[in-house]
Amino acid sequence: MKKILLAAGVIAIISIVVFIPGKRWARAHVNYKTATDDHPLKCTDCHAYISKSPLISRLVNRDYFSPVNVTVSGDGKLLFVTAQDADELIVADSEKGEIIKKISVGNKPYGVIIDKAGKKAYVSNQWSDNVSVIDLDNLKVTDTLATGNGPAGMSFSSDEKHLYVVNSYSSDLTVIDLEEGVEKKRLSTGSNPTNIQLSPDGNELYVTARRAAIVPYGEPMATELTVINDNSKRIKTYLSVESAYLMENVAFTPSGDLALVTLIRPKNLIPTLQVERGWMMNHGFGVIEQKGDGRIIQLLIDEPQAYYSDPFDIVITPDGRRAFISSSGVNLITVIDIDSVRQLISESTPEMLSLWSNHLGVSSRYVVKRIPTGANPKGLALSPDGKLLYVAEHLEDRIGVISTESLEMVNTINLGKSHRVTVLRHGRKLLNNAGRTFQNQYSCYTCHPDEHEDGLVYNMASKDMGRNVTNTQSLRDIGDTPPFKWNGKNQTVYKQDGMRFSTVLTRTEQFPYKDLDAITAYIMRGISYPPNLLYNPDGKLTEAQKRGKKIFERTTDNFGNIITENNRCVTCHPAPYYTNLLPADVSTLAASDDSILFDTPHLNNIYASPPYLHDGRANTLEEIWTLYGKDDRHGLAGDMTKIDLNDLVEYLKSLRGPAYEINESKIQRASIRK
Amino acid sequence: MIFTDIALALLSSAILLTSCTGNSGEGMIIITESVSSQGKPDFVTGESWRYLPQTRLLAFNPEHPDESPEIITPDFYSARTPEVSYDGKFLIFAAQQNENEPWQIWEMDLGSLKARQVTSSSDNSIDPAYLPGRRVVFSRLSQNDSLKAGHTLFTCNLDGTDLQRITFNPHTYFAPSVLKDGRVIAISRQVYPYLDEPAIMVLRPDGTKAELFYKGVKGNKPVSRGWETADGRIIFIESENNSYTGGKLVSINYNRPLHSRKDLSQSMEGDFRSVFAMTDGRTLVSYRTSENDLYSIYEFDSENMLLGKKLYSSTTANIIEAVAVYEHERPRKLPSEVDMGVKTGLLLCQNINVTGMSSPETGFSLPLADRIEVIGVDSSLGVVEVEKDGSVYLKVSADMPFRIRTLDAGGKTVNGPGGWYWLRPNERRGCIGCHEDNEMVPTNRYAIAISKDPIVLPVHVSGIKEKKIELE
Repeated sequence: MKKILLAAGVIAIISIVVFIPGKRWARAHVNYKTATDDHPLKCTDCHAYISKSPLISRLVNRDYFSPVNVTVSGDGKLLFVTAQDADELIVADSEKGEIIKKISVGNKPYGVIIDKAGKKAYVSNQWSDNVSVIDLDNLKVTDTLATGNGPAGMSFSSDEKHLYVVNSYSSDLTVIDLEEGVEKKRLSTGSNPTNIQLSPDGNELYVTARRAAIVPYGEPMATELTVINDNSKRIKTYLSVESAYLMENVAFTPSGDLALVTLIRPKNLIPTLQVERGWMMNHGFGVIEQKGDGRIIQLLIDEPQAYYSDPFDIVITPDGRRAFISSSGVNLITVIDIDSVRQLISESTPEMLSLWSNHLGVSSRYVVKRIPTGANPKGLALSPDGKLLYVAEHLEDRIGVISTESLEMVNTINLGKSHRVTVLRHGRKLLNNAGRTFQNQYSCYTCHPDEHEDGLVYNMASKDMGRNVTNTQSLRDIGDTPPFKWNGKNQTVYKQDGMRFSTVLTRTEQFPYKDLDAITAYIMRGISYPPNLLYNPDGKLTEAQKRGKKIFERTTDNFGNIITENNRCVTCHPAPYYTNLLPADVSTLAASDDSILFDTPHLNNIYASPPYLHDGRANTLEEIWTLYGKDDRHGLAGDMTKIDLNDLVEYLKSLRGPAYEINESKIQRASIRK
Repeated sequence: MIFTDIALALLSSAILLTSCTGNSGEGMIIITESVSSQGKPDFVTGESWRYLPQTRLLAFNPEHPDESPEIITPDFYSARTPEVSYDGKFLIFAAQQNENEPWQIWEMDLGSLKARQVTSSSDNSIDPAYLPGRRVVFSRLSQNDSLKAGHTLFTCNLDGTDLQRITFNPHTYFAPSVLKDGRVIAISRQVYPYLDEPAIMVLRPDGTKAELFYKGVKGNKPVSRGWETADGRIIFIESENNSYTGGKLVSINYNRPLHSRKDLSQSMEGDFRSVFAMTDGRTLVSYRTSENDLYSIYEFDSENMLLGKKLYSSTTANIIEAVAVYEHERPRKLPSEVDMGVKTGLLLCQNINVTGMSSPETGFSLPLADRIEVIGVDSSLGVVEVEKDGSVYLKVSADMPFRIRTLDAGGKTVNGPGGWYWLRPNERRGCIGCHEDNEMVPTNRYAIAISKDPIVLPVHVSGIKEKKIELE
């Protein structure tokens, strides 16, 4: 008995000795990580969901489908859904709402189109750089066609002999001869194109783009809409859509008098003073008149005090009366009365139309209804008779079915079995939803489309206006690259997305801690870089890239002199993240910047993040040294020849996500035909 | 004996309030009974409108109409403007303990019916509304106010600490309520330099980003607290009569408040005194059929604009307010950019020549201005030249009201002065133009003015010792 009591006493003393300081340590640890003093002390809330252990990751996560686009067969009986996270094309019976087959396709399928005969489906695989061809009689992949980098939207030529594939990462358009199954032409498009539509008369195709053309900060922004002549397969013109970007999709009216394109009108040139009265982001659509000189009119779908963020897809009913826009950031479908749009345009002077593009009240003239959907509605498709609208509810793993007559959701088709929402999935929903921004004006996705960055420079006026402008940074694979922000002031993502985030950016109540933990977990572990198929498809460097790697890692200059350690590329940018996670002064401070050191940025997939430097002043990687690094403080470069610099840049472009550096076995396959 | 009576009264009150569900009186309705005659209201001072003698709060159970209502403020000379906390367990109200004493804010535990004084001031504090984070916003008379204000809005913790004034212009504010988005709306009326028509203003609970929310057509004035409904409308009473405080029951849409007024009582005789909207869609109104009638409490179907069942009436008193005891959605708790260590705020105007008076829609255009005068309550704060793109960037002493008028090169007024602005310490604020259309958003354009340091106002002030602000 005495021994038992003694043992119990020892255990109690040890427990007290360990528990009290342990708890104190844990409190200090959590306070540091979250920059708060009241985050719950529950280890699993953070560590289970940001763990890199495959076992833990397997336990706390699960697979989802994440439908992104949907197409209806010519007879309206079948739905074809690209399931982005399952790498599948899902075929569903539209009437019974049952899944018929799940067909494995390439990595991250994006778009799907069906030929007029209903014999073949084409699926663009955005992370495989190819298109899967599917025989619709036996629902099997019969061929794979190579494309450019990041294939997304597709269209047939008017005679269906060619397939146009928009290459979203390489910003061009592949023209495939369908008889031969090979690419015949590559045309340049606007930056980061996503979709393409053939006009009803079959003469032209419009290609949308998401990123604005790079201009010096302060100059007006514009994004290019590319017009292709179907007959010649040549570019007819580039239409400049001013003050707008993120043009995801385009649709023509059946009569062909108008093309409507979804868009966002950002306010990046205005200091981020307030959200009230639309001072951060506005959402709308562009109307491109097909007659006359092809005026482009922009109208908002927002309202005073209420914003409908992240318009994604747009479809128009066969009678040409209504357009449906998926407002993906607010889980709504916005219904537009097109005749009212025509009426508004016809009665407005050019000056008034210019006014309307910045007017929140005018949407009451043409927005008929907002229809609630499941989480993150993306691709839309109408039944052939126009009576049903199918909605790819991206983060609900569901297809919503809306009656275009009653404008109500009448059915849903579940793509998977389980509806369990994991913490990471919840975090992803939060990131893609504007509900945690004042009046729903923007989501994280708005400035970080596809969890990347939007290519814009903003004046985050946390201190003074007009100073300290910053280039938006990618959210991909950043979990192990603390600190965050250009000035490295946020030691963790918890802090980055915590109280100060709500004070200066979202301007509404901060995330509850449960949500903060979820969005942090998703940002830290749920977002990865696409494979760098453009510059490094298989891990084998080109000769130029190899030479560039030597320059990157060199310790002596071209004259044999030792380069001081802190002036070598590899010192501050070591693999696998190509950052030493330390602050540095590389002589890039502008006169309008406060005197700070900059957090050394990682270089993974750096080719995909122009413009460069903290304020986006360098349009290209070359310009970092040719225009702005002349004092050799951002790495020694003064001794380099033009060829040396070209090689260095080629090497930089070859850098991939950290997963490749850490585990070579995880290299993703490139195009089958390549 | 007295103690026994008090104990019995408390016990019976507790039984009454716990008879429905739980111990907080969920399901009960709290009403304000006014036994005094209704004098002519003064919409500037609030006399006979916000201030009524001998009003008292009663609780009744609508499920048991046969039961007598319970007086829950027996110890007060006058009590009114009740509001129930988000958890449905507390009641906040304004009350005068004894005649001729100042009105104070009180909070009552609906379980025990014990009331606790929140404010303690020699000036009247009225019209309380709960804010998230255990705070309250209310209206307080500012006597001899240097800013020439009448009643101003204040916030404080529910224990009365951390008292903050949040309005700083020569207006008078009444009847604040809190929108779901976390902002405060209140009836606001300019009292200096001239008495203007009342309107509804909206601002953040820290006093930043104050702006017009709603203004009726000339002669129509909001006279009651506005309540946000479940379907995104704000319902309140609007009067076109200066002789009494009743009026029409109107709604405006949250999404387009300036252009969505709807008279919900257009087919009805009589008038409404107050309204209360529940988050489940139900609405209670204080209504009377004619001037000869007394106000009673009714249900109201605001969607179909139909008066419903009469819930409570008195043969001797007006029942002027009603709120339901229930747990309801808490509005957003907005973060604050205010830093009391900073003495100024920043204002960017994109282009002073953008004005609603000069637009392609009206076809009318004003001459171009190239400078502005910033005018304080008692004196000019300075004349400032604007940039060639019309932009101007100001650093203005915080919590100081000012108006702006635009001038041409000869110093002649082009536009304004407009309404009163103020900036809270460390507030950053933007405007598109002067007297511009409130539904306009800014053009995405770099303003030349922000390429320079802000112009400090008042111009005679130099070397403001500011707290050093860290870059985020």
